[in-house]
Amino acid sequence: MTVARWLVVLCGIGIAVAGALVIAGQAGSGAQPWDSELSDNFIFVKAIPFVLGLGVAVGLLRGRGAPPLRRPDGTVRRFTTGTVLGHWLITIGFVLALPTGMWQYLGGILDVRAPIDLFLFYRVHYIGGAIVLFSVAMFVTSWWLSGDRSLLPPRGAWRTHLVGAAQELPRAVGARVARLLRLDLGERVPPPQRFSYYETGLSFPTWAIALTLITVTGVIKAMRYVVPVPGPILYWSSTLHVAAMVLIVIKVLDHLRYTLPRWPMMVAIVKGWVSEAGIRRVLTPSVPPSALGERPVAGAEAPGAPTRASAITGSDR
Amino acid sequence: MKRLAGALAIVWALANLVVAYLFLTNAFVAKTAIKEGPLAQAALLLGGLLVAVFAVLVAREGLALVRGTSRADA
Repeated sequence: MTVARWLVVLCGIGIAVAGALVIAGQAGSGAQPWDSELSDNFIFVKAIPFVLGLGVAVGLLRGRGAPPLRRPDGTVRRFTTGTVLGHWLITIGFVLALPTGMWQYLGGILDVRAPIDLFLFYRVHYIGGAIVLFSVAMFVTSWWLSGDRSLLPPRGAWRTHLVGAAQELPRAVGARVARLLRLDLGERVPPPQRFSYYETGLSFPTWAIALTLITVTGVIKAMRYVVPVPGPILYWSSTLHVAAMVLIVIKVLDHLRYTLPRWPMMVAIVKGWVSEAGIRRVLTPSVPPSALGERPVAGAEAPGAPTRASAITGSDR
Repeated sequence: MKRLAGALAIVWALANLVVAYLFLTNAFVAKTAIKEGPLAQAALLLGGLLVAVFAVLVAREGLALVRGTSRADA
């Protein structure tokens, strides 16, 4: 890591700590006239720039990651410690933010009150939201810096990845998806690279959409306490925030549905290291043998893209 | 470890089934129609159905892990 980047990282962390101290000092001074809920709203909106900045700083700290490694016992490093910790961190963020957000929404629909004060739901929701914001900033910075795009189809290869993803779905569902997207399910696709076609073609892009939507709408909603936000924009932000929340609830379920029976994926995201044979077994049967072409389909890899060593090495972020 | 993961998945799926139930039942009550409008009713119905379907799929995978009959055990 260069000296300049270290300086930026240290500045980022220093500013975040200073921001946290000032915000805590203001909130705890006893001079603020607001109730607990409004006070939490202010703390959250003031903390957002610092949380995002800290995420960027930590993303810079992670830098270019580490080269792929293989142990003599046949295990390979699929994810670095930073990725494993980041994945757990965003999981904790969801576990805090989703149920509390769901209660805020359903409480309004059902017109019921919980025995716990509502501001506590908001407080936990904000803590979860801050963790998600930090994680998103950290991962985006890290991927941008490393140039790692292994979770997305290369340029010009979207069609191949969508065909591969549709082939992984149950036949009836895959056929509907293929009809909707005008894909040829009989098309032969090359074996998947580091991630399965379902992950690159469908799962990660929808994660990206859902996370972008919930982040942008959440920030707009929070901003209304410090800047005037026009009514229609606030209305649509609130509506889309709820829609993104439901989409993430479904995405979490789909993620579990997909990874639980593919146990090496679970091992990899906990330990970082996984049996090479195990992960290869999980990735390769994800595409039916009849669909595995002997020659790569044109456009499956970006022109001039570096050749990956194997399905399980390469990207390590 | 697989059994623990399976059990946790079942708990998560059951919690989501409760959410799906609340979505679905409230999509049809008059209060929602008056307060939120037909668009919100449709969203509750669609969201509830999707959450229910995926929760059942997760519960099935969790149960298979607990029983030791999952593809992960092959």
